[in-house]
Amino acid sequence: MSTQDVKLPPMGINWIGLGTIVRREVSRIMRVPIQAFIAPWISALLFIFIFGFVLGGRIKEIGGHRYLEFVLPGILMMNIVNSAFLQSTSAIYFQRFLRFIEETLVAPLSYVEMIVGMLVCVVIRSVVTALGILAIGACFGVTSVGNIAEFLFWVIAVSIIFGELGIIIGLWAKNFEQLNVLNVFFIVPLSMVGGVFSTIDMLPPYLRWLAYANPFFYWINGLRHAMIGFHEGPPGVGLVLTLVLVVVLSLGTLRLYATGYGLRE
Amino acid sequence: MLPALKISHLRKVYRRGTVAVKDLSLTIESGDFFGFLGPNGAGKSTTIHCVTGIATLTAGTIEVFGVDAVKNYREARRLIGLSPQEFNVDQFATPRQIVDWMGGYFGMNAAQRKSRTDMLLERFELTEHAKKSFRELSGGLKRRVILARALVHDPALLILDEPTAGVDVELRRDLWRYLQELNRDGKTILLTSHYLEEVERLCRTIAVVAHGEIVRNGPKAEFMTGGGLEEAYLAATGAEPDHIAGAAA
Repeated sequence: MSTQDVKLPPMGINWIGLGTIVRREVSRIMRVPIQAFIAPWISALLFIFIFGFVLGGRIKEIGGHRYLEFVLPGILMMNIVNSAFLQSTSAIYFQRFLRFIEETLVAPLSYVEMIVGMLVCVVIRSVVTALGILAIGACFGVTSVGNIAEFLFWVIAVSIIFGELGIIIGLWAKNFEQLNVLNVFFIVPLSMVGGVFSTIDMLPPYLRWLAYANPFFYWINGLRHAMIGFHEGPPGVGLVLTLVLVVVLSLGTLRLYATGYGLRE
Repeated sequence: MLPALKISHLRKVYRRGTVAVKDLSLTIESGDFFGFLGPNGAGKSTTIHCVTGIATLTAGTIEVFGVDAVKNYREARRLIGLSPQEFNVDQFATPRQIVDWMGGYFGMNAAQRKSRTDMLLERFELTEHAKKSFRELSGGLKRRVILARALVHDPALLILDEPTAGVDVELRRDLWRYLQELNRDGKTILLTSHYLEEVERLCRTIAVVAHGEIVRNGPKAEFMTGGGLEEAYLAATGAEPDHIAGAAA
């Protein structure tokens, strides 16, 4: 390029740049397949085996469904949440730690393109994780997806929520220890008591409000409805909660990028 | 013709209150080979970070070929190629991936990236190392990858932050020849270096920054009078030249 032709036409959406963020992250994920995919699949297999077969043998049916069919959506949702969160926290923190986040900062990429690129990778990892777990469930004869559109909605929406939470934590964290704070103190406990293994009716009446106050309950419940048609709790609450969280977290993440929090010096 | 880079009253204060750049104004004409000198911590890298988007500005304006680097940051960044002082790359990626991905961020399609990446890997003698991971490379090879990455989108303004730090004499001289070729072809180059010989050989205009301000700025010829560039540099930064320090002792 010479000094005479530096006038460039205005940029539209940088689709190639966005696609490159996805290519780079997929390449990074493929360097750690055991961590990214094999670990959640083995974890899901163990949950299915222990809770579905060993302990589930004592519970024959829930709402007309085999116990293993009942727990599979919850196991799936726990792993989707975990995959989404780990994908974005590790991606952002790794880029900050090695400083190659500067490659995207010096490039003609908008903040929206950077965030969308990250979230596309989050959804890819979550969907691949989910497909693997569905395949494991199919080996046990319990995989069924009654409503594919509803199933995809819950997988993608929850992935986006935890992908964005992961970005925020990845920008905030000053060390590896802080990356695990949300996971250890909120995600794991709330997901375990969010109705993966039991219905609300199985809880003592004085503890049922805990389930209704737990957002994981609505996500597991939504995915369970999409897969086997079983639903409990107030209808519509999960959908509204999910959409509100997607909007609020999207705006929050965009704000952090625009102000350069954790990104720019 | 619009200047390649116009910085007006740049001020940068970090979150903890450190004033890295006080009030820096600078104009680099299109086609110039510009030397940006100063001691460690003077504000050179911070200024470059503000120009390229790695750091935010506290105050002031920056224009790249007349394009506001804050308001129209995407347009401005398309015009700049940066070779930073530090190896800010994915250490597990290969040189080919690093160069190709950067082309992608700048919106180059697959055919353009392939052609440009092949050419740059060849030019910097990286072809045989193209599939090794970056961390396996020697310091000199790493520096070449960083330079190839900066050039992949053929920027009009090339910013080189100590590009020859830690490289051997052969590569340094080869790089000098290449940079001179690029400059002859019309590329504007901003170079920071602690090697005064390098600046003396390559640059036509020089600015010296100290304590976050430009303390001297002008054509190289003005720096070469008297004791030469080193004397002029030390005088500008307020350091004592050797012969004065020696006499005092």
